[in-house]
This record gives sequence, C-alpha cells and structure tokens, in this order.
Amino acid sequence: MAAAAQARDLLEELGRGDARAREESWRYSKMALRALSQQEFVAAYTQAALPDALRARFDWPQTQGRRVVFINGAFSEAHSDVTQVGAAVTVGESAGNTYSLRIDGDIDQSLHVVYISVPSAQPSRWQVNVAVAMVSGRASVVEQFLGADGIGVLGCVSRRIDLADSTSLDLVSLCELPESASLYRLVDVRAAAKSALRSTHVVLGGRLQRLDMQVELAGEQAHLESRGVFALRGREHADTQLDVRHVARDTTCDILWRGVADQRARGIFHGAITVAQGADGADAQLSNKNLLLSPLAEIDTQPVLEIYADEVKAAHGATVGQIDERALFYLRSRGIACVDAKRLLVGAFCDVALDRIAQPWLREHIAGLLAPRVGGENS
Amino acid sequence: MLKIENLHVRVAGKEILKGLSLEVNAGEMHAIMGPNGAGKSTLGNVLAGREGYEVTQGSVVYNGQNLLALEPEQRAAEGMFLAFQYPVEIPGVNNTYFLRAALNAQRKHRGESELDSMQFLKLVREKLAVLHLKDELLHRAVNEGFSGGEKKRNEIFQMALLEPALAILDETDSGLDIDALKMVADGVNAMRNPKRAFLVITHYQRLLDYIVPDFVHVLADGRIVESGDKALALQLEAHGYAWVGERHVPGQVGAGAA
Repeated sequence: MAAAAQARDLLEELGRGDARAREESWRYSKMALRALSQQEFVAAYTQAALPDALRARFDWPQTQGRRVVFINGAFSEAHSDVTQVGAAVTVGESAGNTYSLRIDGDIDQSLHVVYISVPSAQPSRWQVNVAVAMVSGRASVVEQFLGADGIGVLGCVSRRIDLADSTSLDLVSLCELPESASLYRLVDVRAAAKSALRSTHVVLGGRLQRLDMQVELAGEQAHLESRGVFALRGREHADTQLDVRHVARDTTCDILWRGVADQRARGIFHGAITVAQGADGADAQLSNKNLLLSPLAEIDTQPVLEIYADEVKAAHGATVGQIDERALFYLRSRGIACVDAKRLLVGAFCDVALDRIAQPWLREHIAGLLAPRVGGENS
Repeated sequence: MLKIENLHVRVAGKEILKGLSLEVNAGEMHAIMGPNGAGKSTLGNVLAGREGYEVTQGSVVYNGQNLLALEPEQRAAEGMFLAFQYPVEIPGVNNTYFLRAALNAQRKHRGESELDSMQFLKLVREKLAVLHLKDELLHRAVNEGFSGGEKKRNEIFQMALLEPALAILDETDSGLDIDALKMVADGVNAMRNPKRAFLVITHYQRLLDYIVPDFVHVLADGRIVESGDKALALQLEAHGYAWVGERHVPGQVGAGAA
C-alpha cells in the first residue's frame, strides 16, 4: 500500500491532482510508476552542458532561427534562436517554470520546440508548464523530446493549448528517449468553433513515458485529427492515453494510431471518445492497430466510446496482431531476405499513421528514426 | 534441372504427398493436372519453401543443390519462381518499390550490379506491354484493390521481370476470363526458351489449349499416377479424373516423366 500511496503522491506532484480517480488509467503502468515513485530524485540541474551528440539531433537547418530549447525544464538562452519567428509569434516567461507561446497570424514555416533531459550524478527530476495560445491564423509546430543516456531523469511537461475560433495548428511531436529516461506529458487542448488541431505523435524509447492528451472540442465544427506511432524495443514502456470530448455540435475527430513492440517492450494505447449530450452531428473515428514482433513484447489497447447525443456517426476498432506470415512468404518468395521483408512490412504498417506530415525532410527524419526499430532482427 | 524423388509431405499432421517423383529439364513445359485435394498446391508451396510443410521422406534436387535446405529467398535468387494461386495483398508496400527490391536482391545474390530506378523503369515498361497491364497498377500497393484477373496478370508480370529459370504456375488460370487467360498464356509463351522450364499446375485442360505442354502428369492422392504428352490432357477432359483412377491398381506408383 505504501508503494501505491507513493505513486499517487508522485502523480499529484506532477500535476494530476485527481490521481485517485485516474488510477484505473494507470492500470498497465502501475508497476513502472511505482518503481519510479520509490526513487529519490534531486532537482535537475538547469544549466547542464548540452552534449554535442544531442545537439546534432535537433540542430536542423530547416528550423534555424525559429527554435526554442528547454534543458531540464528551463528555457535555454544559449541554444534557443528565435530571430526568424516573425511578429506573429511571442514567447514569454513567467514565474514557476511557466512559459507561453502566443501565435497571432499565419506562420509559413514550422516553429521548433525542443525539450531535453540531461542526466546528472544522481536521479533527477524537472518540470515545465507551457501555455500555447493560437489567437488567429494557422501555424505548424514541431516539438522534440530528447534525452542523453545515463542516470535516470524524470521530466514532466504540462501544456495547455487553446485554439481560438477558426485557427488551425499542425503539430508534429517526436519523442525519442533513451531507455533510462522517463517522461510524463500532459496536454490539455481546448478547440473553439471551426478550429482544427492536426497532430502526429511519434513515441520512441523511455523507461516509462506517458502521454495524457485531453481534447475538448468545445466550439461548433471544431476538428481533431490525431495520428501517432509508437515503436518500442528493449524494456521500453510507453503509455498513451487520449481523451476526446465532443461538447459542441458538428465536431469531428479522426484518430489513427499504430503501435509496434519488439523484445520485452510494453505499449499501451487507450483512446476514449465521449460525445456529450447536445453534441449532435458529431463524427468520431478511432482506429488503433498494433504489431508484436516478439513473443515477450506486450501491447494493450482499449478503445472506449461513450455517446450521450442522438445524431452521431462513430466508429472504432483496435487490434493486436503479428506480422502476416502470408505477406512475409510472398515477399521472400520473390527474393527479398527475411529481415528486409519484415522491415518492409512493419515500415508500411507504421507509415499509414505518418501520411499527414507535410514536410518531406521531417518524414525522412522520422523514417530514419523508425528504421532500426522495425527491423525484426531479434524476432 | 529439377529432380523430385519419392517426396512425402505432411501438412498439419496429414500426409498430402505420398511418394511423388518428377523430373524437369531445361526448356520443358510440364503440366500437372489432378482433382481437388490431390496435393497440387502443396507441391508448389513445398518447392517455393513455404513454412508448415514437413518433408518426411524423399529428396528435391535443383541444379545439383538440395533445394529443401534453401530459404525461400535463396530459392528465388537461384531462379525459382512461384506464381501464387492466391496472390497476397500487401497494403502500404508500393508495387514498384517491392519489385525493384526483389529484382535487386536477386541480382545482388548472383553478383550482378543492381539496377537504378531509370534502368528499372525501362525494363518494367518493356514487360508491361506484353501483358497489357496498366502503368497505374505499379503505383498502387502490392495487389491491393486489384481484380482477380489483375492479380494473376501481376504474377505473370513479376515472372517476366524476374526472368526465373524454373517457373511454377499454381492454378494461374483459375478465376480468369477467356481474354485474361489468353494474355497470361501469351506472357508465358513469350518466355519459353531452351534454358527455362515451366511447371504449370491446373485443374482444367483449357489453359493447355494456349500453353501447349511437352508433358502432362496426373497427380492423384499424393503421387503422379499417369504421365504422357498433351494428348493425355484431352483424354482427361473427355473422361474425367475418375477414368485415371479406374485404370490404376491401388498402390501402383506412376513413373516420373522424361
């Protein structure tokens, strides 16, 4: 029981005050969370030096001059460069590790926000809050979560995203953590009338990484498109919880996630859609398919649909399976080696969830990140 | 080229092939006919190396090598090709990408240089014309959304592209209308040459009106019970498979051809 209480305390400290009520959502990650909560963490050092190898992973020419970097939860003056962001973007800072990003107008090129965990001599912890306000126009944001391997770091990023009427935000979120790092991401989105959030998440690595994304489709015709892939190996553990609430009329959501787990990895996907009373004309679609590449890997998926309105279009489906042996034999019978055939099949399986990424260079970058994780050499 | 001797194969604990012997030489066109459940598709799958087929007895020698010891991709690289009875749809894998990867993997295995995309496309256009296939199929995922006829023609197109030494056609005629059947036959006939051999597995004599075999074998109850020339196929058409059964004393094993 002490362990359970410690886990609850940790959740409360990380900003989930209603931890007890949410315990069910931690069902599959309970042990991983308890193990974390029994560890003594010191505050992470915010002035930590950035290893060159890590810098190379985000220093993209395409986002130069439009980049904000946080190291262990603190804004890094040295590594950020916002000289090209233009007048439509305001980056602000207030007390208590809280930052704001305000976008008022169209942005042609992607903003780049990077969150980095740098370990120190003992287990450390950091936390940051970011408020994103889309006041007008349309924008594209690429965010990256990176970590150096070493003594475990626990990061917590809590965000609020407000989309004003008729605004549109394209978000690509890449999380690539070493197996020693943990990350808890809370995202609360409120979408006003005719606004749209199009997000693609790529979830790789982590001792425990958890994404809690809540989206309230609050205004008429608000739209959410959520794409995502997790690809895990080793003893990585990733838990994704989507909670979408249709509150206003004619709101739409389209959720499509793919998951792959190899070796002893553990993946969890929970997709909940609620259509509230009065939200007639809502259209909710959820598809989640998963592949196990090893007999020791595990994936749990749970789609939940709750409908309290009368006129609703809704569909959901979730599967966990293995590589299609017929397809594998077909490719091999044409001369493609087993390992390459598996990579081709798993890569194609994941690609379906990445088709909305507009920037070709970013698609290429993600393909490179996925390649070693869809290999199947170990299965 | 291919020598099968006394092959016994079990599938899911059940013996399907019960002492099949067959010899195929370069340049020959062999047809294997037989009733449902005789083991025709099992033969094709065992030769291509599909999992789940347990060889309990006998041997298969291909160009001097023990074929059964090779992985499916090695067999392909050594020149063996199976046209599937039911070609598999593979969503998300582009047809052109797949074919180029397959051809280059085979070329690499044989120590030949890999083709770049320009060289590959040139080759593809040549082969497409023969089979009256639309370019558009190349841009789609492998077999995805193809009609039954398109799938079968795509198999023959792959064969034309990969230029195997031994092609096994597993009921390629099933589900084809007469026009598609003629196109498939044209594709096969265009590839006949003294170095290449074919093993055509079929239910019906109809395909053999267009692809004229050198040898016809009747496969029944797991072995070859009768071999002959193309006239045998016509006799089968006239009398049915029961006719073969009546002509053979139970337990008597038919001799391999050639």
